[in-house]
Amino acid sequence: MPPSEPARRSAQSEFSAALINPDLPPPVGVSGPRGKGARKRFAVYRNTVTVTRIDALADIFPAVQRLVGADFFRGMARIYLAQEPPVSAVLFEYGQGLAAFLERFEPVSELPYLPDVSRLERAWLDAFHAADADPLAPAALGAVPAEDLGDLTFTPHPAARMVRSRTAAVSIFSASREQRPLETIRPLEPEDGLITRPAHEVQVRLLPPGAADFFKALMTGATLAEAATLALGRQPGFDLPAAISAMLEAGIFSACSLSPAKTEHPQ
Amino acid sequence: MSQKTLIGASALAGAVAMAISGATFLASTDSATAATEKCYGVAMAGKNDCAAGPGTTCAGTSKVDFQGNAWKSVEAGTCTTMSLEGGRMGSLEPLDRDLPA
Repeated sequence: MPPSEPARRSAQSEFSAALINPDLPPPVGVSGPRGKGARKRFAVYRNTVTVTRIDALADIFPAVQRLVGADFFRGMARIYLAQEPPVSAVLFEYGQGLAAFLERFEPVSELPYLPDVSRLERAWLDAFHAADADPLAPAALGAVPAEDLGDLTFTPHPAARMVRSRTAAVSIFSASREQRPLETIRPLEPEDGLITRPAHEVQVRLLPPGAADFFKALMTGATLAEAATLALGRQPGFDLPAAISAMLEAGIFSACSLSPAKTEHPQ
Repeated sequence: MSQKTLIGASALAGAVAMAISGATFLASTDSATAATEKCYGVAMAGKNDCAAGPGTTCAGTSKVDFQGNAWKSVEAGTCTTMSLEGGRMGSLEPLDRDLPA
């Protein structure tokens, strides 16, 4: 008779707990040949799982690894994965909580940009695996009558992400991934990063002042007029044509439409 | 929202027209799309392969993790050398199109 559902679940949680904690004995039912103990054999398996997860984190967060060094990164990754094992069998989804972990991990408290660099790296991979969609065509926007432009709303592209930072996380991310020197970067300069994948290649942009407010408003459903007004109000030097041009080129949106409330009252 | 003074329709139309006229990327985007094909799952490792090398050493099962001395290696990172000099980086230029690491 197969084990009952609660029994199976308890066996599974015992197994995954033993996978993380070397102090725990091998799970019940795991044994060597002729009923011998399997402590060493299970340790090899546990090691393979641990090393594989650390390798996955190193692949997902190469800039973070370069910033702290490989030895430090692997030690830190081990602590992280004990606290937050993967919830998906798909390892490229791992590490969603690394930024929050880094924010409270005391040994990196002197690197205030590290959490946002890890957010950019996670967003990069999310964009890489996001659903395909054609970006909004400039011609589609150009075809909208001038009097309707203000009431337009936009559908975010599945790959579009934004990371707003109190630090120079975007410059540090880019320099680190491209193995460029970091000496000229002022680490505490606030930066906004935009991650998109208009076709098959992920793109990361450093946004000029005001653009993040503009894009964020549009991504959360504001009309074009509302978003432009907001951005200009917060940043008088905001360059609206350049932002619209960048939004088309980067592929932040996949479609635009007249907001329903506004179409009822076109004036 | 209507009680707020929003940007004028003509200003918006001008901005959109300027944005689109500067859109020299139109043709290149189309041709790039046509010329590429997608190859799933090759660029980023899902790491399904067994870590056979380190797996035989049990390094991952050590109860003595990198401790005290390892945390000092933060300073080995290049981050502390960042200075106040140097200008900001470009604005709307793509910063990088980095490949999967």
